[in-house]
Amino acid sequence: MSRWRKIIIFLSIMGPGIITANIDNDASGIATYSVAGARFGYTLLWILIPTTIALVVIQEMVARMGAVTGKGLSDLIRENYGIRSTFFMMGALFTANFGTTVAEFAGWAASMQILGFSKYLMVPLGALFIWILVIKGSYRSVERILLFACLLYFGYVLSGFMAEPDWKEVFYGTFVPQMKWDSEFILLSIAIIGTTITPWMQFYLQSSIAEKGIKKEEYNISRLDVFIGCSITDIIAFFIIVTCATTLFPHGIRIHEASEAALALRPLAGDYAFIIFAVSLANASLLGAIIVPLATSYYICEAMGWERGVNKTFREAPQFMGIYTFMIVIAAILILIPGAPLIFLMVLSSVLNGLLLPFVLVYALSLVNNEKIMGEHVNTKAHNVISWGTIGVLSLLAIFFVITLLLPMRVGYG
Amino acid sequence: MPFFTELFVSEIMKKPVLDPKGDELGKVKDLVIVKGEPLPKVSALIIEKKKNIFKFLWKDLNIFNKRIISANIYVEALLPYELNEKDLLLVRDILDKQIVDANGAKVVRVNDVKLQGFNSDAVLIAVDVGMRGILRRLGVERGGEDIMRIFKKHMSYNLISWNYIQTLEPKLTKISLTVPRQMVSELHPADIAEIISQISHKEGAVFFKDLDVDVAAEALSELTPETQVDIISGMETEKAADIIEMMPPDEAADILSDLPTEKAKEILESIEKEDAEDIQELLSHEEDTAGGLMTNEFIAYPPATTVRRAIDYFKKDAEEVETVYYIYITDDNEKLLGVISLRDLLLADLDSKLSDIMETKVKTVIPDADEIEVSEIVSKYNLVALPVVDTENRLLGIVAIDDIIDRISPPAAKRRRRKV
Repeated sequence: MSRWRKIIIFLSIMGPGIITANIDNDASGIATYSVAGARFGYTLLWILIPTTIALVVIQEMVARMGAVTGKGLSDLIRENYGIRSTFFMMGALFTANFGTTVAEFAGWAASMQILGFSKYLMVPLGALFIWILVIKGSYRSVERILLFACLLYFGYVLSGFMAEPDWKEVFYGTFVPQMKWDSEFILLSIAIIGTTITPWMQFYLQSSIAEKGIKKEEYNISRLDVFIGCSITDIIAFFIIVTCATTLFPHGIRIHEASEAALALRPLAGDYAFIIFAVSLANASLLGAIIVPLATSYYICEAMGWERGVNKTFREAPQFMGIYTFMIVIAAILILIPGAPLIFLMVLSSVLNGLLLPFVLVYALSLVNNEKIMGEHVNTKAHNVISWGTIGVLSLLAIFFVITLLLPMRVGYG
Repeated sequence: MPFFTELFVSEIMKKPVLDPKGDELGKVKDLVIVKGEPLPKVSALIIEKKKNIFKFLWKDLNIFNKRIISANIYVEALLPYELNEKDLLLVRDILDKQIVDANGAKVVRVNDVKLQGFNSDAVLIAVDVGMRGILRRLGVERGGEDIMRIFKKHMSYNLISWNYIQTLEPKLTKISLTVPRQMVSELHPADIAEIISQISHKEGAVFFKDLDVDVAAEALSELTPETQVDIISGMETEKAADIIEMMPPDEAADILSDLPTEKAKEILESIEKEDAEDIQELLSHEEDTAGGLMTNEFIAYPPATTVRRAIDYFKKDAEEVETVYYIYITDDNEKLLGVISLRDLLLADLDSKLSDIMETKVKTVIPDADEIEVSEIVSKYNLVALPVVDTENRLLGIVAIDDIIDRISPPAAKRRRRKV
C-alpha cells in the first residue's frame, strides 16, 4: 500500500478518538489546568504523562469494543448485566452529565462576557447553533465541524509560546516528578486526572466509533486515532498549564476560573494572549456543550434500545434528539436565571462522575475480556495487567477526589 | 400438568421451586424455550442451588404461578445442566435484547416477557417494551403505579404481540419484528387489540380498562365492530366517552351507530359539546344512504307458505311492524325471491303458495345507494317501501316512503338522526 493511500484511509477513519480526547479539555478541564499552573507553576506538569498513559490504555479498550461489536458501551452493559445496574447507572450518569453540560454553558457565558458580549444574547445563540448542528447535520458533517473546532485548541499552544516560558524549567517540571505534601497540591493533581478521564467519554467514544461503522479490520487505524487524540489532548493541557505558570504564577495571582485566567493574562501577556485564551475557552466550552449531551443521548438510547445517531432525523430517533434538545435547552436556561444553583450542580456532577468512573471502567474491562463478545480481540495478559493497574489507581483517586469534593477544604477548580 | 393463566417472566425469577414435601429444590434461573405452534413455549426450567445448575422439565411441574412453583419430583431426580449455546434461554438470550424492525431500525429493548397458559403449556405471548416492564424488573411496579395515581394517570401496558416477532434461533444477538418500525408505533394499540381478541373476553375487558385513553382509543378502532360494542357496553359511560372522544369522529360515529340507542345517547351526552356535534354531523351524513334510512323491521315469509297461513302469520306480525304493505318472500338464507302486496295477498286464493303469486322482478337498492337514488326509484315505481339488499341479494331491511319524505323535506325537529 502506498503511503498516500494509507494517509487517505487514516483520514477517513480518524475522528472519534481525536474528538473524544480533545473534549477532555472542556470548560472545567481548562479551569483545572489554569488553576494548577497559576498556583504551582511547572511543578504539576509531570502528572500529565501518567494521565496520558492511563487515557490511552482506557480509550483504546473502549474503541476496540466499538469496532469489534458495532455496539455502544451501554448496549453491552444492558445486554450483559441486566436492567438493574443499567438503570441506576444511567440515572446517575444523566444527572452527572447534566451538571457537566451546565458547566460547559457557564464556560461559554463567561468567555463571551470577558470578550464583551452579553451572555443573554450569546447563550441562546450558542445553544441554537449546536442544536441545529446536530439535529440537521449528518454524522460526517458534524464530525468535520468538531475536528475543525479541535484545531482551534492550538490557540493554547500559541498562547503558551507567547508567554515566553523558561523552557529549561518547563522540561524539568515535565520529566522530573515532584511531590509537595501540600493538600492543595495533591487535590489539584487528582483533579487533573479526574477531569481528563470521565465516564461519559467512554460512552461517547464507543458509540461514535459504532455509529461511524468502523470495522474490526480497520481497528488498527482507529487505534492510531485514539493515540493521536490522547497525545494532542495532553499537549494542549500542557500548554495551558505552561501559559498560566509562566505569567500568573510568578506574580502570585490566584485564580478560580478559566475566564479569570484569561483576564489576568491581559496585563501580563498582552491583548493577543488574552483573546486567544478567551476564544479557545469559548470554543472548548461549546464543543463540550455538544459532546456531553450527545454522549448522554447515546447511552440512554442504547440502554433503552431506541433508535439513535446523529445521522438520524428527529422523526427517526425522537428520543435521541429529544434528550439532546432537553439538556441543551434546560442548561442554557439555568445559566440565564440569576441565582440558579450552578455551583451545586457542577460539584454534584463531579462527585457523581468520580463515583461512577470505577464502575464504568470495571464494566468496560470485564466486557472487553468476554470472549463471547470480543472473540479473539479480548485483552492480552500484559494488556490486562496494565489495564487493571490503571483502573485500580484511577478508582482510588476517583474515590479520593469525591471525598475531597465533599470536604470543606475544597479547592476552587472551576 | 401445571395450570396457570399468565405472568411476566420477571415475576418468577429467583423464586424458589419446591418439591412435593415443600423443600426447596433451587431457585429459578432461566427458562428453556422451544418452538411451538402457534407460539414458542417453555420446555424446561433452569434452576440453581448453591452454584449447581439443574434442568427441570416442564412436565415435572405441579404448580406454576407467580406465588408458588412446585414440582412432582424430588431432588434426586433433578438433571444436572450445563449452560450451552444450543439451547435458547429466555433470560439469557431474549431479555434486554435489542428489538429491530423489518428494516433493521432499532425500536426498543425487551424489558420483560409475558407468558400465557395455553393447552397446559406456557407460551410466550408478548414482549413488554414499556415503562411498566422496567419498573417490574426493578421490583417497583406497584410503587410506580402509586406515583402515577397521585397524578391521576394510569400507567399503560406497552406490549408487542409475539405474532410480530420473527422465529427465534439460538445465539441471537437481536430480535427482529416482521413489520417496519413505522408500523410498530401504530401497531402497539393494534397489538393490544390483537392480544385482547386472543385472550378470553373477560380478561380482555380488564386489560383494556388499564390502558390510557389514547392507546385505548387507537386499539378500539382496530377491533371488530362486535368486540367494540362488547367492550364499550361493558364500560362505565364516563370512561367510554373519554375513549370515544379521542377517536376520529368518523370512527366514533361508526361505533356509536353500532351501539344500542340508549348507550349511544348516554355517551354522546358525556362527550364535549364540540366533539359530540362533529360526531352527530357524521352520523347524519351517513343517513343519506339507503343503509342509514332503512329499518330492519319488515314482513317476510318462505316461498312454500300458503296464502292462508301467511294471512294468519300476518295478523300477528303486523302488530309490531310499522310498514306492512308488502310481504317479502325470502329463502332459508334470507335471499330475496319476490314480493307480494298486501292487497294481492288478500285477494289471492287461500290455498295457493306464495311462490305462485309473488312478483319476482323486485326493485332493490344496496345500502350505499344515496337518498336521491332511493327517492327516484320509489317515485318512479310508485312504491310504498323499497327493499335494501346486500351484494348477494340478502334482504337487509326496507326503506319506507315516509322516511324518504322526511329526508327530502324534513320537519325541523327531525333534522337530527332519529337514533340519537
